[in-house]
Amino acid sequence: MALAATLLHNAYFCGRCCRHKALQPLLGPLLSDSLSKSYSSYRRPGSQPEKKTTWQNVDLSFKKSIEVLKTQLGMLKKETEDHLAGPEGQSLTHYMLEQTRVVWEFRSQEDLNKWVISSDVEIGGKSEVYLKLGRNNQTALLYGTLNTEVPRDGETKYSGYCSMRAKPLVGSFARKKYYDWSNFNSLYLRVRGDGRPWMVNIYTDPYFSHQKDDLYNYFMFTRGGPYWEEIKIPFSKFFLSSRGRVQDDQHPIWLDKISTVGFTIGDKVNGPFQLEIDFIGLLNDRAHTEEFAYETYEKNPPL
Amino acid sequence: FILMLSLTLGTMITITSNHWVTAWAGLEINTLAIIPLISKSHHPRAIEAATKYFLTQATASALMLFSSMTNAWSSGQWDITQLTNPPSCLLLTAAIAIKLGLTPFHFWFPEVLQGSSLTTALLLSTAMKFPPTTILLLTSHSLNPTLLSTMAIMSIALGGWMGLNQTQTRKILAFSSISHLGWMTTIITYNPKLTLLTFYLYSLMTTSIFLSMNSTNTLKLSTLMTSWTKAPMLNTTLMLTLLSLAGLPPLTGFLPKWLIIQELTKQEMTTTATIISMLSLLGLFFYLRLTYCSTITLPPNSSNKMKQWSIKKPVNTLTPTL
Repeated sequence: MALAATLLHNAYFCGRCCRHKALQPLLGPLLSDSLSKSYSSYRRPGSQPEKKTTWQNVDLSFKKSIEVLKTQLGMLKKETEDHLAGPEGQSLTHYMLEQTRVVWEFRSQEDLNKWVISSDVEIGGKSEVYLKLGRNNQTALLYGTLNTEVPRDGETKYSGYCSMRAKPLVGSFARKKYYDWSNFNSLYLRVRGDGRPWMVNIYTDPYFSHQKDDLYNYFMFTRGGPYWEEIKIPFSKFFLSSRGRVQDDQHPIWLDKISTVGFTIGDKVNGPFQLEIDFIGLLNDRAHTEEFAYETYEKNPPL
Repeated sequence: FILMLSLTLGTMITITSNHWVTAWAGLEINTLAIIPLISKSHHPRAIEAATKYFLTQATASALMLFSSMTNAWSSGQWDITQLTNPPSCLLLTAAIAIKLGLTPFHFWFPEVLQGSSLTTALLLSTAMKFPPTTILLLTSHSLNPTLLSTMAIMSIALGGWMGLNQTQTRKILAFSSISHLGWMTTIITYNPKLTLLTFYLYSLMTTSIFLSMNSTNTLKLSTLMTSWTKAPMLNTTLMLTLLSLAGLPPLTGFLPKWLIIQELTKQEMTTTATIISMLSLLGLFFYLRLTYCSTITLPPNSSNKMKQWSIKKPVNTLTPTL
């Protein structure tokens, strides 16, 4: 997950030219290498040796910078218009009345480009993961093989995970933008899995870096059948974890500043996996009254 | 309870001080006392809000101390009202602007209010604004009026603009606070009494809004829309208070705006007066939208949050009608 994040950072630093490479997991570590070097000089077995540093990639041509400036100003203008229109760019009545919203659909290659896939190849494992458009360009197919063979570097104990994560929204001049899902209370997924359990992760990008590993997770159990499944996961069920460890002090997720959503498979079973996603949406389930599913009692009661 | 006591103590110390060090000490006591209040719920956003608050307020206090020390160095005395050294006046203006949340130092304010609970947000926007305002009042004759007016106009503009499509009530109130502070700062060099008047009326109105929102537990716009089923009387008074905050004529909120515009025209600053009244139109727009949401339209759905049904206290339905 952390390397996927560095991969994203690098994708912005190197300009948009490298974005199409983000889909291939083997080249991913190549891009993330130069940034991971700034943390430690130990090179994980799965990542290739550094060939070209980030600063050598910089393109200083004047024409290109004018074009970039024009695109950014265009984005800024659009953002201002959206700001005037209402919350999230739609009118207030739309915001007031909306009960469902489709956030991610998979109808073209651009929709696929909004996602990043990664697997344990980053740490030297042998799983493979690929993302492509499904039949008739109606779905996205995340498929691959999970391999739990542990990389022999003396410190890794477990291996075997593959994941797909949405890229965070970027506003004009590379500012961070967030989703505001406060109107909704469940995640609605239309998927067709193969019976394997998946984990859904939501990342709310915090301001300070000591919270950057905070992730809200919950499970998605798929049936294997040829029929489509509509899975509703209420946000009250998401629990907090950090770097994979479930935290003691649980609290409900705040939906007003969501950055990315991801799917991970890591169920310790060697073999192929497949997940076909039609769309990912949000639902305001009126029948759902639960505030938070874990530990709602007061932890330090006054005596 | 001790924290509330420390807050009052800090405020009193600053208000009644005429030595720079006591003023600074009071401000520090306030900052330190409110940090645990902000981070009480142990949510990461609350902790983030507390960290941001601490960092900004600590910088502002340090700047204030620098300004008082340079003033003492050059003039040999520590009296608050005798601020003579120009760089220290500038530093002090910057420090107070950071403390209050005037543009361009406003960035911490909406995030901090969003991360804290509603009552703490109330304290942050009314009680914590009081000591810096008193310091501004005491030193207002020696501060640069152009700088203050520029910051004030920018605050009103920004408070109105950014508040336009917020969906979280606390952020909306943060931006309304920023624009009201802008109104207060425009008039401070000409007639400080009007600043005090604006501040009192603003605190009263904001208190009633926060307390009404607290009893219906509305943290976002959609909850505000469904509060008419829970306490209809509260809803109507909330609408009146919101319109009062916006500054519509028959309600109390219009009074400070009218007097400020009058004073500005007396001081031959008609362009400023026109600009700020135009900009407060932006604010009016989103206040109207809030009232539209809460009272004028009756949404077809009602909230399914269990928390909303617990009536904490019958809130002051009379204060908005003042």
